[in-house]
This record gives sequence, C-alpha cells and structure tokens, in this order.
Amino acid sequence: MDQGIKSRPKYEKLRRDAAGRFHLLLADQAVIPPDTLDHDSPVGAFDECWTIERHSKAIPEADPNARTHGFRSQEHMLIALRHRLAREHMGLRLYAVGTEPFVWAVHGVGDEQGLGHSEMRLNATGSTARRVYCNHCRTISAGVTTSIFQCTGCNASLFVRDHFSRRLNAFAGIQIDAEVPGDVPPAEELYL
Amino acid sequence: MTLGRDIPLRIRAIEALSPSLKRIAFVAADGNPLPGSRPGAHIALTVPGIDGAHRNSYSLVGAHQDRTTYEVIVRRVAQSRGGSAQVHEALRVGDVLSASPPTSQFNLQNKAKKHLLIGGGIGITPFLSFLPVLRERNLAVEMHHFVRPDEVTVFERLLLPHRMPTMRIHAGRAVGIEDILKGQPLGTHLYICGPVGLMQDVEAAAYRLGWPTSNIHQESFGASGGRPFIVELARSGRKLQVGENQSLLEALEAAGLPVRSMCRGGACGECLTQVLAGEPEHRDHFLTAAEKSNGDRIMPCVSRSISPLLTIDI
Amino acid sequence: MPATFKTDETFRGAFNYRNSDEAILRFPFPFTEDSYMYSVNIEPHVRGGPTGAFQAVFDVDEHYVSECRERALVLSQDPNRCIVLPHMLAAEWDTLELIMESLAADYPDHFSLTRDGLQWRWINRPLGIDDTFVFGDPSSLPFPPFEYITRQAQGDFTLQDQREDNLFVDGGMVTTQADWSLEFDVGMSFHEWHGPVPVAHDLGVFDRALQFLLRIQHDHPVRRLNWTMTVNPRLDTSPENYPIWGPDRTTITPENVGEKLHLRVELQTLFRLPRSNAILFGVRAYLASLNELVRVPKWGRRLHRVLRDIHPSLAEYKGLPRYHQCAVNFLSEYDDGAVTSMGIAPDTNTLS
Repeated sequence: MDQGIKSRPKYEKLRRDAAGRFHLLLADQAVIPPDTLDHDSPVGAFDECWTIERHSKAIPEADPNARTHGFRSQEHMLIALRHRLAREHMGLRLYAVGTEPFVWAVHGVGDEQGLGHSEMRLNATGSTARRVYCNHCRTISAGVTTSIFQCTGCNASLFVRDHFSRRLNAFAGIQIDAEVPGDVPPAEELYL
Repeated sequence: MTLGRDIPLRIRAIEALSPSLKRIAFVAADGNPLPGSRPGAHIALTVPGIDGAHRNSYSLVGAHQDRTTYEVIVRRVAQSRGGSAQVHEALRVGDVLSASPPTSQFNLQNKAKKHLLIGGGIGITPFLSFLPVLRERNLAVEMHHFVRPDEVTVFERLLLPHRMPTMRIHAGRAVGIEDILKGQPLGTHLYICGPVGLMQDVEAAAYRLGWPTSNIHQESFGASGGRPFIVELARSGRKLQVGENQSLLEALEAAGLPVRSMCRGGACGECLTQVLAGEPEHRDHFLTAAEKSNGDRIMPCVSRSISPLLTIDI
Repeated sequence: MPATFKTDETFRGAFNYRNSDEAILRFPFPFTEDSYMYSVNIEPHVRGGPTGAFQAVFDVDEHYVSECRERALVLSQDPNRCIVLPHMLAAEWDTLELIMESLAADYPDHFSLTRDGLQWRWINRPLGIDDTFVFGDPSSLPFPPFEYITRQAQGDFTLQDQREDNLFVDGGMVTTQADWSLEFDVGMSFHEWHGPVPVAHDLGVFDRALQFLLRIQHDHPVRRLNWTMTVNPRLDTSPENYPIWGPDRTTITPENVGEKLHLRVELQTLFRLPRSNAILFGVRAYLASLNELVRVPKWGRRLHRVLRDIHPSLAEYKGLPRYHQCAVNFLSEYDDGAVTSMGIAPDTNTLS
C-alpha cells in the first residue's frame, strides 16, 4: 500500500564518484554482492573496503595501508569509523552498502564527523525490515516487518508510516487506535 | 538580486588607504536607520558619471549590525569603464548616491567544522565582515590572503583588528594553494574572493583534491547578467536597452514602469508578463516546461532574451 | 493591543477558553474564496492586513498570558518539545533579538528592551519578567536564548539552516502544533519534512516554495495562512500526545459541534535572520469555535462551502472525516446561498 509519502530515500547501485580523491566503502557483510555495485565500479575500484565478519575473532589489519579490514559487528565498525574520519581530510568519499538501518548508521557517523550529503553514497539492499520510532514514548524498535506492531517501549499498537528520519534512522510509528481504543486492523507482513 | 527600493546614502568620510584603495563611509541621507545587513553582504552603488551612471557591487566591510553607517573599500581599477574611476576621482564628502539594500549569497556556513578563507587583493572585503563574527563565535578559522608586495603593509593594517595566528598575508601571486587545501579536516568550508584568475585557480585546485561543490563558496555578487538586448513595450512602442548587468525588471523599473514584483528571484510568479514577439531566455523556477517552450510568458526579474529584440505586453 | 489578558484559560482537561467579540472580529479567517486548494499563498509580512491579527510583527492577543502558561506546562511534561541542534546557536541569538525588538516596538506598554552595548535589559510586564543579561553569553540567561524568548511568545517557531541550496529544520519550539513532531523531523530537509502532505508535491508547490524561501532577504519577511480543525480549544495536538487527544475526535455530536469544533488557523511568518542567515518560521495558532465564527455571516457561509466541497484527501490529511458531515450540516444552517466577497475581511464591525 503506497502511503503516498514523498521524499523517501532512493537507492541505486554504488558507483565510485570520480570527483573524489579517496574512496572508502563499508559493507554490513563479509562478502559484498556484486549486484549492489555498479558494474563499472567493482570492489577493486574503491581504495579501501571494510566488511563485517560477524564473528568475535575478526580484527582490522594493523597495517594502516591495508586495503581491507574486517570487523566483528556494526558497532565495532562504527567505533573505528568515527576515529578514522576524525583524522581524515577533505576529498574523501564514504560509501555504504547493506540494510537500510546499517547504511544510515554509517551516514550518521559521517554527518557527525563533517561529511555532507554529496560526500556519502548509500545503497540499501537485502531485508527491508524497519527500525520504527514510537512518536509517543520515543522508543525505537528494530526489525519490524509488519504494517502494525506493538511498541516494545509502551505497548501501543503502532501503524508504521513511510515517513523516514535520516537522523533517527527510523520510520515513524503512530498509535493506530488512538481515537477508538481497541480498533486495531489486522497487520500485514510488508517489510521482509 | 536587488529589492527595488534603493536607499539614499550620503558620504560621511573618504579615507585613502593607498594610492588605489579608498574606504568610504556612508550614512542614510534621509535620517532613517539603514536596512539591516549580515556578514558577507554587499550593496550595489549607483555612481553618476559623464557617460552615464555605473552600478557596481561592493561588500560591506564594517560591523554587520551597524544601522547608522555602511563602509566599503573601492579599488581604483586602471582600465575601468568608469565606476571605480568616478568613485576615486569625483566623489566628495557630502555627496548623495543611491544604493540597493544589502543582499548576500556569500554566507558563513553554520555546520562548517572549519572556515578556510582564501583571497586576493580587494577580495578581502567580504572577509572583513566575516572575521569579527567568526572570532566572536570562537570558530576554527584559517585565512590566506595574497596581495601585491607593495600592498602588504596596507592589508596588514586592514587585518590588524582581526589578527589571529591562523591568518597569513602572502606577498605575490597565489602559489602553494594545493598545500593549503591538502590536509584540511572533513567539514571544512572554503570561501574564495579575489581576482577572477585567483578564484578560478583556487576552485580548480579544490576540485582536483576532491572537494565537493557544496563546500566551496565564491563571492560573485550574485552576478545575474547576460547579453544586452532591447525590450519593446508594445502598448507605447517605447524601446529600452537592457544592460548586461541589469535584469529586465530593473530596466523597466529604471524607466519608471510599474511592474509588480515580490521575490525577485523567479519563484513567486508576481512579475509574470506576456511576451508578444522575440524569444525569451528563461531562468525562472515558476513557469512549467510547456509554458517556457510556448514562449509567450516571461518572468522579468531573472529571465532575459535570446533574440536581440523582445516585445512585451506593457 | 489587548485591553486585558485572560489569565485563567486552560487548553486541556476542563477547557476554559472563549474569544471575546473583539478577538472574533480580529481572527485571521483563512479562506479568501468559497473553495480551498493548496497554493504558495505567500505575501509580504507588513504591519497591517485584513483583520487585527496582522497588525504586529508577532501578534499578542488576549490569550497571551494563558498560552505562555500552557507552553510552560507542555515543556514541563515533555522537554523535547524544544530542540535546537548545536550549530544553530547564532540563530538562537538572532531570534531572541528579533522577537524582543518586535514586541517592544509593537507593544511598548507591555514590553521594553534597553541596551547598553551587550548589556541588555528585557522587561515583560504581563509575565512579570525583568531580566538583565549579556547578549551572546548563554550563561547570563535562565534558559538557552531560543527557548528563553519563545517561552514568551505565542505560537510555535522553527529554525531552518540554509545550506546545499536547501533548508533544514535544525531547531524549534513546538508546543501548539497541528499534528507534526519536532523530535522526529529535526534535521530534515524541506521536502523531507513535508513528505506526508498529500497532493501538494504533485502540484510542485514545495519546489516553488523552497526556491522562494531560499531568496528571502533580511527586513523583508513574508507570511501565509494555513488551517485545520480541532475538537475542543486544545493547543497541544501533537503526535506525541495523540493517544490523549485522539479520542476527542469521536465526541462530536450535532448538539455540541458548534461549541466544541474549532477552526484552527496558523498565521505563518518567515524571517531571514542576520547573523546565521537562517530562516525563522513562526506558526501562530488561532482557535475559534464554529459558534463564534458563524457570528460573522460571511465567514459562516464561506466555511460551509469550503468544508462541503473540500478534496477528500485534504479532508483526510487534516483529520476531518469523523466529524466532517456533522460540521457541514451545522454550517448549512448559516448559508443562505448569498454571494460572499473575495478576501478574508469580516465585512462587519458587529457580531450577530
């Protein structure tokens, strides 16, 4: 069902920005699916690539000139990203490929460290499960796949809107039965 | 972009800073508080001359919140068509000139992690209004200004009230720009103002190093001109010259014609005018693609003419 | 200038709110003709307009004291109804200066501002405030500058940073909104925060509006009117508190619609701020019940026609469906089919 909300982010295959000087690519998996990158811009076209290995023994290379680094988790990667960007210089381009919550988490760190919209490119792929921000109790629930779900913070039955906040990295959730308590339609599995 | 209601300014003081630089202080000739300004703003001054009036833009160099005085610094350009020559030779204390209210497209960026100012010669003027504000807000600033060797003393004196350790005046042509730009932290915004050649070189160097357009800011005084053309007013048969630095709207207003306008930026639709002959050059954001290709309408505040003659229904 | 301020009004619970006859006549009725569709209906914000609500830069009316108290109440229960991102500090001072200068100039009996260099003294008699502070030094004020001054003004305010040829809503004081969330929207670009508004995007309204706003110059503010409807004179119709006020929408009956259903008009003003180059967006909310509005015959007729013929998706977006028919039925009694004049002025000095 198209809620008709304009201004959702649009994604396309990542292409290296020829105007940039150094290209850092972040992925939320160990192997980057080739169809998430533009065919003229394979992994080798980027100067450095960070991946998430999802196991506890992964560790980034000690050699700062290494072209690839593996991390244990998103959190582990973002800590390193924050520190790296604080030492970086103008001319950098940051790329992220993975689920929508992952790419916007990367964008958030980039924004905090001074990168502008045109210096970051994102491709959201894979699961479309959503992070949903309950507008009433401010709790963000992750991994929401249905059109209506119960808020993990205040138990309200929330309708999941298509309105997306890049800053909060979440969609808006508003109580579906606020006007007539109990009047909750059946949920549909939409965001898989 | 000007706002149509010029203000009368009286010259309160003229100070020769050097053989080719004069600082001029203006007060309102009508005794009213001057329109508010902001860091980086400029006014367009109409300077009368023997061969007609010249209208040149000058950055305001004083405290931006000063509502009683505006100050500009004018360089006497050797081969000028007349504007700066007039300013230097003909103007006297007490003279009254008309000027546009201050406007600006050259603004300090609130989200910048660092402000990098690179300029040359008379291009220092908008920076003189930036510096006190940057200092007051305790922001990260670096400045490099390139001046002729014989003018180093003059410019050092101009910068004295704003002096900070990250500021350098360089004698001679702009060299080492890449070294200045390299190694700037993420979130640095670059502001460039000076001779055309310097601005182009600095911009080109920044692009070569991968700086994005959104972080590069240049003072071009909102240059909005184009090829001159003739506009014919269908109802009276009058013909007017639209100069290269003048919008069609400004030409009509200068001729005393009452054209409605509001945003003066091609967005609101207020100045919509019918075109009867000729080919408009559309620069607005109001008309649809179909309306633009029909060619029977124009927004005079920003649009011009492709054909040498444009006939409008006024 | 309001003769007296009502000090005991409440905008929640038992609801104690009425407009005096004078307040009704000065109401910014939003419809210039008998039908409604979105437009970029912007005009210069000058002192003076079709009704008294347009007389001042920031209108202060008989509800001023009560509304300021209501704002303080909202903030005490939900502090995140005022958020300003750190890079907007210059815009905070710009706003404080603009509002203080304007209130002191428009209402010298109620407000005064004296300045000795950076040492400022601000007196707000209706709220009993007399503060001396250093302009530019946040520690010299009891609240951060934007919060400090917007606690003393009616209506919501947002701060928009201009960058990348776009506007970003990077701060605001939002306690009297018609159902949008500051906390969710903070940081969004112009098109992003207008995302949920139906129809208008396809009309290109937002593209043009953005181009226009990017060019607003200092000392040349503009304004426009927006509207919706609210059940009960409730100012805080935030999405945050929707679970609390949502049920109000089901309480309208043919017997109470005249008293309970209110037309909510927003007088929106836009100012270019000098130091920050940001845009201050003021959203001043006015409430009047149907009973109050029909006392101006022209308005009764026009409101009936607008609501009767409104585009369904607009009605949906503005939250009208549950009581739409009830309202139209009630208003039809006040529409004799007579011609109504263009423009919003009441065309009368007395009320029926």
